[in-house]
Order: sequence, then structure tokens, then C-alpha cells
Amino acid sequence: MALLGIHKELLVWSSGSKFIAINTEENSEGGKSFVFDCNTASKKSQENDDNKGGDGGTEEKGSDKILAFTFSSSGQYFSLTDDNKRLILFRTKPIWECLSIRYVVRRCTALTITQSEDQILVADKSGDVYSFSVVEPQRPAELKLGHLSMLLGVTLSHDDKYVITADRDEKIRVSILKSPYNIESFCLGHTEFVSAVVVIPDHPKQLLSGSGDGTLRLWEYKSGRELQCWDLRELNDPEQKDNEKKFAVSRIACSLKGGHVAVLCDSFPAVHLFQIDTETQRLEFKETVRLAHCSWDVAFDESAGLWVLQQSEVSTATLYKLREGHWQCAIEDPKLKTTVNILCNHWDMFQVSLDAESRYHNLYKSVFDNMAAYLLKKEERIQQQGKRMKRQLPESSGAKSI
Amino acid sequence: MTATRPQKRYYRQRAHSNPMADHTFQYPVKPEKMDWSQHYPQFFKPLAESCNHDDRKDLQDEKRPSPVVEFADIGCGYGGLLVELSPLFPDRLMLGLEIRVKVSDYVKDRIRSLREAHPGQYQNIACIRSNAMKYLPNFFKKAQGLVYTITDVKEVHEWMVKHFTEHPLYERVPREELADDIIINRLGTCTEEGKKVQRNGGQNFLAVFRRVEDQEQMSSP
Repeated sequence: MALLGIHKELLVWSSGSKFIAINTEENSEGGKSFVFDCNTASKKSQENDDNKGGDGGTEEKGSDKILAFTFSSSGQYFSLTDDNKRLILFRTKPIWECLSIRYVVRRCTALTITQSEDQILVADKSGDVYSFSVVEPQRPAELKLGHLSMLLGVTLSHDDKYVITADRDEKIRVSILKSPYNIESFCLGHTEFVSAVVVIPDHPKQLLSGSGDGTLRLWEYKSGRELQCWDLRELNDPEQKDNEKKFAVSRIACSLKGGHVAVLCDSFPAVHLFQIDTETQRLEFKETVRLAHCSWDVAFDESAGLWVLQQSEVSTATLYKLREGHWQCAIEDPKLKTTVNILCNHWDMFQVSLDAESRYHNLYKSVFDNMAAYLLKKEERIQQQGKRMKRQLPESSGAKSI
Repeated sequence: MTATRPQKRYYRQRAHSNPMADHTFQYPVKPEKMDWSQHYPQFFKPLAESCNHDDRKDLQDEKRPSPVVEFADIGCGYGGLLVELSPLFPDRLMLGLEIRVKVSDYVKDRIRSLREAHPGQYQNIACIRSNAMKYLPNFFKKAQGLVYTITDVKEVHEWMVKHFTEHPLYERVPREELADDIIINRLGTCTEEGKKVQRNGGQNFLAVFRRVEDQEQMSSP
């Protein structure tokens, strides 16, 4: 699994158990980079029994693979969660420094840091959201809220008032962070697991969500009202050659300036670009950029350049910029060159993520209609009874059983 | 074809069903998309139908707001409570939610046969097979109301009381306030489980809770 995250001049590329943070500022000592491998992080002592929670399932041995990471709003903090149930907090300035390694109860799929930078919210596979303090890096977690299904995304409103969580049961729940037991609303509309949720910068009341149903939806999250719905299948496969193929949204990236939105679908070599029209406040489709390679992730930098993490040794990183109304590859960009130069020394770390199984494939539920099977048996039973009644009729008193 | 009253012995199913397992359930994407007309045909026109009737009754009905389900029996079992309460609140809609295949089918058959045997009655009750824990928000919008809990197992009662009392959005309704409540007297007697408890000389533990305002939200700006 490979991911990309950007905060101002810092670009973080992760794959497997490693991440590399590249500082693209020109006068930052020649594009300095910081590499961290979760393999080197201390392991939890064997005495502590992780399974006390008794979730009933078999505990598979985890890897140190990074599952998700996030920057804080100022970029001062960076936090990641891995397959060995670690939650690691870093400070990024003036130099990268690991502040703490804590443990989560169940593997997490997503995390976010509050605007005030006081806590990290992690969403886990059993449906729970835990809060970890940033201010006190060693403080244990507090349970905040829970869904009845695996969580796939967590985000916050800009003022930290609402925490928005997305699960495998097609639900997006909007709760009040200070009193998370208080559900403000549900945004209901998706027909498959919700794989991405993002509150749009500059549009504090609006939420974008992506799902295994292949749609991108815009919501007014406080009321739960759906404003727009895009069927990405129409964009991916306009001639409808393959009706069976499912498209899951793997990333929704938003630019800080310009209202640009980039949407990536799992295992599909294209990025769909949208933009929020400032007058109508509606999301407008702009274009689909066909990528040369399948991509793991996309992200915008602060000048609305779209970076892509590709499954290619030669062009692991690439950059697109809006020029004359079209998104075009910016091969000559100095920051891209710096990045490519550094990344080419680290191809081995990306190689491990090639041919990795799609993490969305198993999120689709297998359907077994036990109602239909029962009704069939019932119909047979009734018919059998009907036949028996007919045979008995001449001898019976003719009274029907009521 | 007349609906004969269903016989319980054909619908027996063990009491426990794993709510965390993925069964196949029918549920609407959201409450607004729920077609209640198949469950309460006398109260709802089918969703898709456009209302262009000249019939006077229909024109009058359009002025009245759409009825809503007001009572939900979570885990309605064989439907005893629904059948008991139906004639007491003839204009209020009640829905039973039951996760078990055979048992929910029994309730549907029972309601069908009751409606047929008593024309005009039992039109306000219905049963849906679903996992209330997961899908309640798909059927119902946010609402205020009362929660009635009853069990013959003391530990379960204590567990429910503990969690509801600790929950900042609920408070227990004291017994004195429930003196006129028609429902609580019947809770322990009209369900299959309730009758079993009576036969065995057991005791029923009742607790009622109501939704309150979020104190946290009220104190913050």
C-alpha cells in the first residue's frame, strides 16, 4: 500500500513500512529528505495482551505496513498508523522528531488531527473512533464514538465542531465532537461502503464523499442533505463496455486555493478533475486526465499543483498543473525534478506495494438471500398441506381450520 | 384466497441471531425513500403514483400531513405487543422489527390474517425483517420519544438501566409519572416471552427513558 500527503513544501511518500518526507523548498539545504521505517520502531512488549478486548476474531500477525497518515493543519505535526497497531506522532519542524509511539486496540483505517492540533482522531476496523492527545504525547486513548460497522474514513469540520465518520454500511455520520454520543445527522445515499470523506476547504458546510458504488457526492452535512451526485462509472466507462466492473473511490483530494477537486478510483489509471464554481457553489466536472500508469495516490500542493504517486520506477512521481484551462503534465518543474531524483534511490520501497491486492475488493458484501430460501420451503410446505387436505375432504366435516 | 391464521409450530426459530453477521436485508437508502404503502396500504398511496384523483376523499386526504410510524417494537418476536396495542391506538402507526427469518414471516402472516378476519382493523401494524442495530437510521428520521424496556433477566435490566442512565441524552422516567401509561401494564403480559415468564412465576423488570437535551451543547456558545 502506498500513499501521498502534502503540506506546503513537505511531500510525504509512503510505501510498505517506510515513508520519505521531501522538503521541496529551494533553500532547504538542497531538498533534504527524512526517511522513517516502522520496522525500526519499538515493538510492544509480549506481556501486554492485545486480545483482552475479546473481539472474538483470530489476531493475525501484523506487518509494519503504514495504513494511513496525516498532517496537522499547521504542518507542525505528522501522525501515522500501521498494521502492527501503532500510532506514531512526529514533530516536523525544525527537524523531524518522533514524539511518541502508542498502541491502538484494533487496526485503523483513517486518522485526522483537529484544527486546534490538540488531538488525533483514529477510526478503526471495529467501527470505533479514539482520541489521542497531541499536547500530551504519551497520554492513553479515549473512546469517542462507535459505528456498528468498519470505519473507512474520518474527518472534521473546519472549526472542530463536527466529527464526520464513514463506514462500510453505506453510512456517513455527523456527530458533535465535544459530545460525540450526540448525532447531528446522517448523510444517507450511498449504496455501497463509503471510502472517502472530505470537508471542502473554503466551503465549511460542505462535504464530499466517495464510495464503492462508484459515485462522488456533495452534501450539506449538518442537515444530511445530498446536493449533487456524480456517477464516476459514466466517466470511467462511457460506452459501458463492462457492466460488472466496480469502481471504488480511493482518494478525494482538494486544493487549498481555486476550489479544485481530484478524484482517484481504485485500480483505474485516470484522475477526474472537478472545480467548485464560486457563483453557483456547485461542483463542475472539468476533465479526466488519463494516466500513463495505475496510481496509488494523488494530492494537491499549496499552489494547486496535482502530484501523482504512480506505479512506475521511472516516473514514481509526476506533477500536473492547470495551464490554459487544461491539466497538463509539468515535467520541467524543478520541484518535480528534485523529488524524482530523491525517489529513484528508493524504488525498492515502492516495489513492495506493486501487485498488492486491492484493499476495496473485500469491502463489497457477499449476498446470501436466506429469506428466499425460506420462502421456497414454506411454499412447498403449504402445497403439501393443500394436497393432504384435498385427499381428506370427503371424510371431513368440511370445517376449515381458522 | 383467504389467509388462515399461521400456526407457530411452522415458524419456530431459535432465539438468538448474530446481528453482526452480514445477512441480506432489504432497507431503504434513507427514510424519505421508504415505501410504507406495502406495509400500511390503507394509510399510504404507493410512492411512485402521482396524485391526480377526482375522488373527494383523496382530495381531502391530501391536506392532511403524511402519517409517520410512531411506535417501533425492536425485536417484536411473534408480534404479541403489536397485536395488543393496535386497537388501542388505531390511528397511530406501529412497526415491529425482527431479525429472524421465520419469526418475521410469522408476524406478517398473522397481521395479514387478522386484517382479513377483522376488516378495517389491524391496518396500523406491520413487521419488517431487519437488523435494528444497524439500520434504524435508514428507516427513521431523528425524533424525540420514549424508550420502554422490559426483561425478566435482572442483569439485563440492570445493564440497560446503567447504560441509559449514563447516556447524557437520556433520563429515566420515574414510576409515578407513568401511572396513566396504558402501555406498561401490557408489556409484561401480551408477548410470548411475557406469558412464559408469567407461567414460570418469574418477574418482569420495567424501565422507561426519555430523550433530553444535550447539556454540553447548551452550555457552549
